[in-house]
Amino acid sequence: MNKLSLGGKAASSRVNPWVDPSFLDLPAESFSLSGKRKGNKSSGSKSELKVPRKRKGEASGSHLLNESGQRDQDEPWVDRYAPRSQAELAVHKKKTEEVENWLRIHTNTSKGGILLLTGPSGCGKTATVQVLSLELGLRVQEWSNPTNLEAYSSSQHEWRMNSVLYSSQVTQFQEFLLRANKYNCLKMAGDGQATDRKIILVEDFPNQFYRQPGSLHDILRCFVKSSRCPLVFIVSDSLSGDSSSRFLFPREVQEELGICHISFNPVAPTTMMKVLTSISTQEAGKSCGRICVPDQAVLEALCSGSSGDIRSAINSLQFTSYPDTSLENVWRLKKNKSVSSLGRAVSRTNQRKKKSKQTKDREEEQAIGGKDASLFLFRALGKILHCKRESPESTEGVPEAALPSHISHHHREPLLIDPELVVERSHMSGEFFNLYLHQNYLDFFSEVEDVDRASEYLSDADLLTADWTSRSVMGNYGFSVATRGLLHSNSQQVSVGFKPLHKPNWLLVNKKHRENSLAAQSLFRSFCLTPVSLQTELLPYLAKLTNPMRNQAQITFIQDVGQMSLRRFPGRLKLETLTDKEPGQLQMDSEEEEENKEKESQGEAEDSLPASQPQPTSNQALLEEKDLIIEEYISD
Amino acid sequence: MSLWVDKYRPSSLGKLDYHKDQAAQLKNLVQCGDFPHLLVYGPSGAGKKTRIMCLLRELYGAGVEKLRIEHQTVVAPSKKKIEINTIASNYHLEVNASDAGNQDRVVIQELIKTVAQSQQIQSSTQREFKVVLLTEVDRLTKDAQHALRRTMEKYMGTCRLILCSTSTSKVIGPIRSRCLAIRVPLPSTEEVCSVLTSVCKKEGLLLPPELAKQISDKAGRNLRKALLMCEACRVQQYPFSVDQNVPETDWEVYLRETANAIVSQQSPQRLMEVRARLYELLTHCIPPDIIMKGLVQELLSNCDGQLKTEVAHMAAYYEHRLQLGSKAIYHLEAFTAKFMAIYKKFMEDGLDAMMF
Repeated sequence: MNKLSLGGKAASSRVNPWVDPSFLDLPAESFSLSGKRKGNKSSGSKSELKVPRKRKGEASGSHLLNESGQRDQDEPWVDRYAPRSQAELAVHKKKTEEVENWLRIHTNTSKGGILLLTGPSGCGKTATVQVLSLELGLRVQEWSNPTNLEAYSSSQHEWRMNSVLYSSQVTQFQEFLLRANKYNCLKMAGDGQATDRKIILVEDFPNQFYRQPGSLHDILRCFVKSSRCPLVFIVSDSLSGDSSSRFLFPREVQEELGICHISFNPVAPTTMMKVLTSISTQEAGKSCGRICVPDQAVLEALCSGSSGDIRSAINSLQFTSYPDTSLENVWRLKKNKSVSSLGRAVSRTNQRKKKSKQTKDREEEQAIGGKDASLFLFRALGKILHCKRESPESTEGVPEAALPSHISHHHREPLLIDPELVVERSHMSGEFFNLYLHQNYLDFFSEVEDVDRASEYLSDADLLTADWTSRSVMGNYGFSVATRGLLHSNSQQVSVGFKPLHKPNWLLVNKKHRENSLAAQSLFRSFCLTPVSLQTELLPYLAKLTNPMRNQAQITFIQDVGQMSLRRFPGRLKLETLTDKEPGQLQMDSEEEEENKEKESQGEAEDSLPASQPQPTSNQALLEEKDLIIEEYISD
Repeated sequence: MSLWVDKYRPSSLGKLDYHKDQAAQLKNLVQCGDFPHLLVYGPSGAGKKTRIMCLLRELYGAGVEKLRIEHQTVVAPSKKKIEINTIASNYHLEVNASDAGNQDRVVIQELIKTVAQSQQIQSSTQREFKVVLLTEVDRLTKDAQHALRRTMEKYMGTCRLILCSTSTSKVIGPIRSRCLAIRVPLPSTEEVCSVLTSVCKKEGLLLPPELAKQISDKAGRNLRKALLMCEACRVQQYPFSVDQNVPETDWEVYLRETANAIVSQQSPQRLMEVRARLYELLTHCIPPDIIMKGLVQELLSNCDGQLKTEVAHMAAYYEHRLQLGSKAIYHLEAFTAKFMAIYKKFMEDGLDAMMF
């Protein structure tokens, strides 16, 4: 292979060229990973960066456009190829428009507003704001957490001696907002065309707000009253369930303060491919062979491995592009594999097979620069409950060991999913996942016999995890039994269409049961009864007796618990619908699947065009898939 | 005004209304001065607790009736604080250790130790031992029961245990062999009727014998329940009429409707409704095993003879799992689904047989 030899040569002439750059200028450049964040700041002289990070008005201007030529070769590509216009943004057009409209409306009137941008990391939230503010001629004033904390702790003394008042981050934040809102920047001679219109950007929240979101809300309430310029918050969704955007900006507060919430999706693979391809071709042109350009398959692997995080994708692209023997080998091996598998896949007409193949490859290749793919709970549940199997025709050619006749009713077509993987990616413990399954599985069954078997499997799963000493080990078996049991016992495979999913009631019911039992015992202690007879005999009859010796608490308790309304449908339990983005998981798969389908259909239509080429219709495709997704979500 | 159940509770062994032979035996036991640990068992509402209290009164005199409710805190070796309610007099201490859940072992050891280590003040005039009354022994963990075995021997000198449980099947062998087992069976229908009539007479009411019989049947000879029912009847209507319908508890009615819903239709949607009803029962403090039991009884009454064995078998199977498992709803629902499947198949087979 041509590339390999090149890489080898380069490696022998230069020692580890890919390591040097990112660490050489570390102090000046700060972290390369966060490079995109500071895309604007790193422009101009480097000394500027040595200024302690403290509220700085971002310098925005045209110089950003023309300096890329004299930039250092070793600058992170994330910075070098930061988007400069709306067209370059790897964000869906509609989203950009949405943000743009908001900015236009709120900057033209002098009445400010609050915008909240959320989305997984690396989906282009900050880039969108920066590009838009550039195009609209807005000055971005960004808050970043002051770092004077260590100075404070190391020499408390001095601080007091110097009578410099130390103020908390929260106060500083408040002051910042106040000032940024009230006063304009001084007009310097250099930036002539700087406008007085500006937006305030907050990405970095003082820690205190995570402890007491209330203080943030108070500050914002003050701000809203007197606000003159728009305030933009950017919050990344986290995977680990505790979504900070929900925590910092609960729905009531959003409504109260009139916060406009725009949520970003992970970058779609087609867009990502476009960006990656253009970057790699540009680099190849520039470097004249010094950099080995990864081929299409590698780009695809990168693209899928990053699960919609364009920053990490570009970083790993740079990482892979620098020639190094050992690394090159790794990638070559993988490349070969993936190339061959891709070739195989394209030639196949069976869509399903292809997809599963590709997912398999994808999993193998996340070793470098890959990000863990994850699933929304909503998706994960859907995958199990909808029970997608291969269609029987697809397997006709494959010689299969048929089951003997007496157990032939247990025959099922191969699954399209791997249940264990689904659960793992849902970021849930198996037990909780089972509860969710249990809450929702009945809607997907049509036969009582199937339900019987399924419920038995769920019962088995619970039994496996019952003993707390072995729970950590048995938990995995528990969800395997439950998910596979459900999948197996759903023999009819009726397509049920869209069904809303619900959160499990059990936790609430169980909590209530315990609370009520405890309350019963403490309120009616004087009867000296065992809990069981108290709850099943005494309480219900007390409700029927007119016994004046009870106090108020007892009376209300008896009315609540002792009596049961004999209505047909109990009204006490409300089904809580599971929303699509339940605890901040990545919404990867929907887009990916749609994407794949799109590709496959195209591949079928015109076989000559390799599926991985940057496709002229990708924008159209994106639009379509977006619509699909939106539709789906509206219905719940 | 207290409940009839409490108001007319007999307070001495001589006044007990039924099982008089047993009462006499207990009296003799106490009169010889000393007695072994006791294990009193029998179904709920048979009068175990009443009998024990009578026995204690026989032992210590009226002082034992001055009860005080105490809130005790026991510190486990893991520094975890366990709070537990006890009922105590100067002579005895009543604990339901199963309230402490998993930590019941610590509670038992600590409480018995503190009681046993303090001597009676005037041992000349009183018994030289105190009594610890443990209720719901069958709900204790195995761990606690083994701890109890050791404790029983150790403090035999200063303390007697009276264990109270509904069945001995969950009490480990070593404990059973260390205790004198006393079974308190349910009173017969006639005995229940006579108690009801005498209570009504004391209240100045006239209870028709037919109604008394009806109450006794409905209560399943559970005397506590019968008395509560009787009092509810009184609230409902007085003078009593013979065909007055005896008020049942809401949850029993609810459970019966649930069972009817299961029998009338077998489909996943129906199972969903049943699940909601089960949840409703659980939030009303009805323990899952009682729900299971009640459900089976109601379902069996709707079943054909052939089905009964199978249904009972499945019920036992899932009830066992219910005890072992951690989340009751899985097993309750699995049983319901099983019943639905069995019942549906049975009905379809029956239909087929009719056709040919």
